[in-house]
Amino acid sequence: MYSLEVRNLTKTFEKIVAVDNASFEVPDGSIFGLIGRNGAGKTTTIRMMMGIYLPDNGDVILKGVKVGQEFKSRVGYLPEERGLYKKMKVLDTLLYFAELKGKTGKSVQKKAEEYLKRFELYDRRLAKVEDLSKGNQQKIQFISTILHDPDFVILDEPFSGLDPVNTNLLKDIILEMKSKGKVIIFSTHLMDFAEKMCDHIAMIDRGKIILKGSLSEIKAKYAQRNVSLTYDGDISFLTGNQIIEKMENFGNTTGIRLKDANQTQQLLKLLVEHNVIVKKFNANDISLQEIFVELAGKEDGGVK
Amino acid sequence: MINHRVLGVIKRELKEKLFSKSFILTTVLFPLFLFFIAGIQVFLRGDEANTKLSIVAEDQKLTDALQAELLTTDLIKGGKHTFQFLTMSREELKKYLDENKKLMLDDKLTGVVFLPRSVMKDKKLEYYSKSPTNISLSRKIEGPINKVLIDTYFNNRSLSKDELDFARKGVDFSGYKVSKDDKIKEEGYGSLVLSYVFAFLLYISLLMTGQMMLQSVIEEKASRIVEVILSSVNAKEMMTGKIIGSAITAVMQMGIWLGAIVTVASSAMFALPPEIMISIKTSQVVFLLVNYAVGLVLFLSLFGMVGSIFDNPQDAQSGMWPVMMLVMIPFFISMAMLENPNSPIGSVASFLPFTSVIVMPVKMTVVDVPIWQLVSCVVVNIAAIFFIFPIAGKIYRVGILRTGKKPKWSEVVKWLKYKY
Repeated sequence: MYSLEVRNLTKTFEKIVAVDNASFEVPDGSIFGLIGRNGAGKTTTIRMMMGIYLPDNGDVILKGVKVGQEFKSRVGYLPEERGLYKKMKVLDTLLYFAELKGKTGKSVQKKAEEYLKRFELYDRRLAKVEDLSKGNQQKIQFISTILHDPDFVILDEPFSGLDPVNTNLLKDIILEMKSKGKVIIFSTHLMDFAEKMCDHIAMIDRGKIILKGSLSEIKAKYAQRNVSLTYDGDISFLTGNQIIEKMENFGNTTGIRLKDANQTQQLLKLLVEHNVIVKKFNANDISLQEIFVELAGKEDGGVK
Repeated sequence: MINHRVLGVIKRELKEKLFSKSFILTTVLFPLFLFFIAGIQVFLRGDEANTKLSIVAEDQKLTDALQAELLTTDLIKGGKHTFQFLTMSREELKKYLDENKKLMLDDKLTGVVFLPRSVMKDKKLEYYSKSPTNISLSRKIEGPINKVLIDTYFNNRSLSKDELDFARKGVDFSGYKVSKDDKIKEEGYGSLVLSYVFAFLLYISLLMTGQMMLQSVIEEKASRIVEVILSSVNAKEMMTGKIIGSAITAVMQMGIWLGAIVTVASSAMFALPPEIMISIKTSQVVFLLVNYAVGLVLFLSLFGMVGSIFDNPQDAQSGMWPVMMLVMIPFFISMAMLENPNSPIGSVASFLPFTSVIVMPVKMTVVDVPIWQLVSCVVVNIAAIFFIFPIAGKIYRVGILRTGKKPKWSEVVKWLKYKY
């Protein structure tokens, strides 16, 4: 069952088509990744989903009904460019954001204090936001995103600019929300994160959705004839070999596309014969990065 | 239109503004500042250096008469002004001036007033001094000298003292205000003072509130918090909340200021001289506040709109001047109207949106304005809100998410056509 459907969204800014007829579906209880390089149209798509931009065309459908203001109250949104009122006190800030979502009263305050304790910021609750370190301000921003107990969490490039501690914290929050049955949608240009966290993805390039579906299905589809290899030694002898269709070096691992799915054993044999120390040999495996490069080309350096 | 989200924004604006240092300071200090300025002016006028004048007449009789008159005036009492009275001919005067040149240049002798014989014909006298344009001094001795001249002139012509007194008098205008219901009553400068106070307070408050609105929008835009807010609240709700919050603050502040003025005006403690006694009517205060509240919504829509277009205060300053003109022009119109309360421009401006915010309350202090005019002034402003607000809202909606290059006005006009 799809909880949220995006249908034919289109948005044009002065003749530039930012999002072009984008459609995708977000299943219940999933972590959904909207993937693409910088400027591909992710933020515009998300802003349209949030009702911050009005689409030129298309709809966002929640369980069969077009979304409106009441949807906004059910969403926790973390924009790519985050901001807080600098002069406002920490606790006031949290309560204000919850109030805008329609949650007021003692219970919210209690919850806010719980979160502050959990994130080790309880003793700073009466401090002004500007007196907090950047990392702590990020924590406040997370709390404000989820304090009102949203059914949907939409995160735009959530991992950009986070320190490692907060990156893990955010990951925990995302997994915790998932375990509570919430739907998490995030956009990222970091394929690595998407691959580790998402159940479903939609890949967007130049405003168009070029790939969508369950990550495991997508990988299975693209993984045939594919081997990912971690090794020590020299594998340059493989270049030009007749069983190899394509080779791509990703640093730690090398992705190898064979001409035929039955040739994996033959490849392994070749490696052993050439004294290559195989540390990891993963047949029928492909990284999201490889899929992306294959589909979108690699002329842009924005994807890493 | 007003829902829990707008209320939330209003509450935050109020909390932020009402408890801010600048609000408390301006609310308390501004009236003090006004009194301070008034005090300084009084002080400056009273501050005169000691003067020493030689009054020289060619006619001994005139000298005696001048001496008798000047020494009985208030001038001599303060001890600041001293006179010496001499009789000499023009030739002798020349010599006297040469002798005393050094004293005059050293400020030991302020000046020499010379009354030649011809003064009894043409009332022309001569003043020799380092600074012969000292108006405040000549104003003070002008009266007594004139009195002496008239007395001397008419002395031989068997006129009664009453006739002399009449001849001596200048003309004195007393203003009588004609109004519909009250009896005709004499009016002092009180209403004029009130006009200045109204015009000045409205002008200052509009500028301050507008400036604060502008800054707060720019800050929200620059700190990127606006997108977080927009994920809960739509742009129109946000703008409405901000405008109402600011307007409430400004009207409250105005109320406090006017309250202070009413208190001062009605308390005997300050014992103002009766001719500048301010008579302030409740209806004037109520109308001013209502009219101001409506006008603020109108003005703040524009200030908010301008703020949304730019993402830093420097650019915004340059973009703000058209709106600033809308604040300044009515101020100058109302100043001009004080000279001539029935000027056509003033009458028209008291009905036009934007200008009427300042002009109408000021007009109310100098002439009686019929109720229908007051009502239509407010109605016109409300109508203007319905026209301006959607335009400002649209530009705000587009502008608030824009960053980067400073947009051209032609681009801003294009935003109106955007579907956002």
